[in-house]
Amino acid sequence: MLRYIFQRLMGMIVVMAIVVTIVFVIVRVTPGDPAAVMLGPEATQEDITELRTRLGLDQSLGLQYVYYIGQLLQGDLGQSIFLNQPVTSALAERAEPTFFLTLFSIVIACAIALPIGIYAAYRRGSFVDQAATTLAMLAASIPSFWLGLILIQVFAVRFGWFPVSGYGGPGSSFADRMYHLTLPAIALGVVSSALILRFTRASMLDVLGDDFIRTARAKGLGERKVVMKHALKNALIPILTIIGLTAAVLISGAVVTETVFGLPGVGNLVVSAVLRRDYPVIQGALLVIAALYVLINFAIDMLYLLVDPRVRY
Amino acid sequence: MKSTKLALLIGTALVASATLAFAQEKGGVINVATVGEPPTLDPMASTADLVGIVSQHIFETLYTFDKDWKPTPLLAAALPEISADGKTYTIKLRSDVKFHDGTELDSKDVVASLERWTKVASRGKQTATTISGIEAVDPLTVKISLNTPYAPLVSLLAFNNSAAIVLPSEKQAEPMTDFVGTGPYQLKERKADQYIQLTRYDAYKSPEGEANGYGGARHQYADEIRFVPVPDPNTRVEAAVSGQYDYVDSLPVESFERVKGSSASDAVMLQPFGWPVFVLNSGNGMTKNLDLRKAIRASLSMEDMMAAAFGTTDFYALDAALYPSQYTWRTDAGTEGAYNIADPEKAGELLKTAGYKGEPLRILTSRQYEFHYKMAQVAAEYLKLAGFTVDLQVVDWATLTQHRADPTLWDIYITHSPFLPEPALIGMMSTKAPGNWDTPARAAAVDAFNAESDPAKRVALWADVQKVIFEEVPFIKIGDFNALSAKAKTLEGVSPAPWPYFWNASIKK
Repeated sequence: MLRYIFQRLMGMIVVMAIVVTIVFVIVRVTPGDPAAVMLGPEATQEDITELRTRLGLDQSLGLQYVYYIGQLLQGDLGQSIFLNQPVTSALAERAEPTFFLTLFSIVIACAIALPIGIYAAYRRGSFVDQAATTLAMLAASIPSFWLGLILIQVFAVRFGWFPVSGYGGPGSSFADRMYHLTLPAIALGVVSSALILRFTRASMLDVLGDDFIRTARAKGLGERKVVMKHALKNALIPILTIIGLTAAVLISGAVVTETVFGLPGVGNLVVSAVLRRDYPVIQGALLVIAALYVLINFAIDMLYLLVDPRVRY
Repeated sequence: MKSTKLALLIGTALVASATLAFAQEKGGVINVATVGEPPTLDPMASTADLVGIVSQHIFETLYTFDKDWKPTPLLAAALPEISADGKTYTIKLRSDVKFHDGTELDSKDVVASLERWTKVASRGKQTATTISGIEAVDPLTVKISLNTPYAPLVSLLAFNNSAAIVLPSEKQAEPMTDFVGTGPYQLKERKADQYIQLTRYDAYKSPEGEANGYGGARHQYADEIRFVPVPDPNTRVEAAVSGQYDYVDSLPVESFERVKGSSASDAVMLQPFGWPVFVLNSGNGMTKNLDLRKAIRASLSMEDMMAAAFGTTDFYALDAALYPSQYTWRTDAGTEGAYNIADPEKAGELLKTAGYKGEPLRILTSRQYEFHYKMAQVAAEYLKLAGFTVDLQVVDWATLTQHRADPTLWDIYITHSPFLPEPALIGMMSTKAPGNWDTPARAAAVDAFNAESDPAKRVALWADVQKVIFEEVPFIKIGDFNALSAKAKTLEGVSPAPWPYFWNASIKK
């Protein structure tokens, strides 16, 4: 067990080293120049060259890489070119909206997907099953930004129940910030629910046909107990995996949704950093996102141990 | 169509009337939705419009522009005294003006700031070549000495991007670390991609006289101004319709009808706002050939390009002149037969004269501004019709700004500009601009224009410059276009402006 954990940790370090290098190279070879963006449309080539020198962008790629790795080893993700703040603090500021948006969306997605998925599997072939399958397909095909715009038009513009965009002004309360997250969380939750619903249904169908379910029923256990205790517990592994992966995707920044709703989250930060060519922010954000993916995958594997006693490493 | 025009007139009239002397109420927060997060809050360090829009509330320049785009004093007490040879500008400062850190403005601050401007700002660096000295004569007087007469100096000192803002002499760090100005609002908090919060500066000393464009009295009715980035244009439209923000900047013109139908906001049309332009690479490659540049111009249908980009004539106008009739610089010199030609035969003949052999004509454009891309698509078809091989390169804006800096990578790039108060501010006229336009005719016309200080004579000399531009085709103006924004029905005192400002605005309770 400990050996397995050690091996996984070593593997994570290798993955992160590869990610750091690939991101560094891709960011630098992509056309576009942060100095030109910073200085604006009327800047001359002389101005741009001067600013590039000041930012250290005139150094060779190798030297910039060595300097960057040196910084990373000291736990420093660098300084944003545009935001006048360290990358770590820019990311920390963006973590809250993204984290709660993810949480909120996952709760909504699970609230929709789990009961419907379980019921659809239990009543396989029924009207509810067919309707659930069709709706899941529909939800999976809807782009979240489109759903977001529809929600804005209906609930923000027509009824005025929610704000169109933003994350609250200065001094806004936690409740106010969560209120701003409602529509984007619904948009993401509905779209994410499709995949979770399909996995829940499929996984439950697998389990409901197993011998131990027949045995449980033969023992005279009530249907509720059979489905919710025996079947669901055994069907949870793939469901947890898909919920975890969905969370990983969302926490790495629901890029389009955050942009549509003007949320200052990680996705929005990455998009604006890419458009501005804010190299340290792109590198730092992608590094943190990759680390989150790796950690979430690791956490899911560890969770298997708790959920399924047969799993041993 | 008629109803749209009528609505436009009514909308404009309503907005204009709002600028009249209302008994405006004090208090409240003005929320402004902007197109994004500014790359910096130091207006010296950037020529981006968004930087100017936000920072003009925090920092002030010696001069600014009135509603007729004439320079007018801001931190200066009056327009400068200019020596007879045009080489010495003596600037008197207003007294008792305080920075946001409580210190009092004096000539030392102005000298230090102007020196920073000549080192940091693009426009300042260009001006530096004509400046021989900047000195403090007394605590409230500054003298700028020039090597050669340079009439655009006052306009350059008045402009709000790449701006000659005045900072405390001990707060001149580059990059800027202390955002301390003399403006009516001070920076309280910047949460990137969330908001920039400005609060009223209680010790602000406003210029005297009636409010007049960016000049005159600056009233601080609102307690706060918040600039909130809303990068998605569709979301900005919905935000305008719902009335979530008091002012929503830069809306797609096709949303006009939707905004007009809103019960919460009014459409604000700035007519005209600016001009899309095709910049030709005059110094390098195939477009170095004048006949080929003329062939490009002869190929193009401005009418179709503007229609594709802006829809109906409610939002654009066909006009060859580099300034519309609202500006004193308006002239038709050189424009006859040189605009909206769309004559493939004529273009073909010019191509033959130029010795064109079918090399790809590289057009750089971006979808960051959708109208650039639409115009590029139409232009490409007209150019093909005339016999050009077209290589349309659609890249993001950051890539475009990088590529255009390398003259070997492009032949045409597409950009746009607001109508600038003074022609000397038009970047494309500089020999250092990416178009590489550097000819004896340009130098003769532009130098004469820059050296002349008499306003009437300058207008005549600008006609000569425009004539040279049409003769040498360093860039091609496509037309005039309008800008659409929205303001809440409760917001008063806001006039349509290329760089909207909110110091005279108030919220009706």
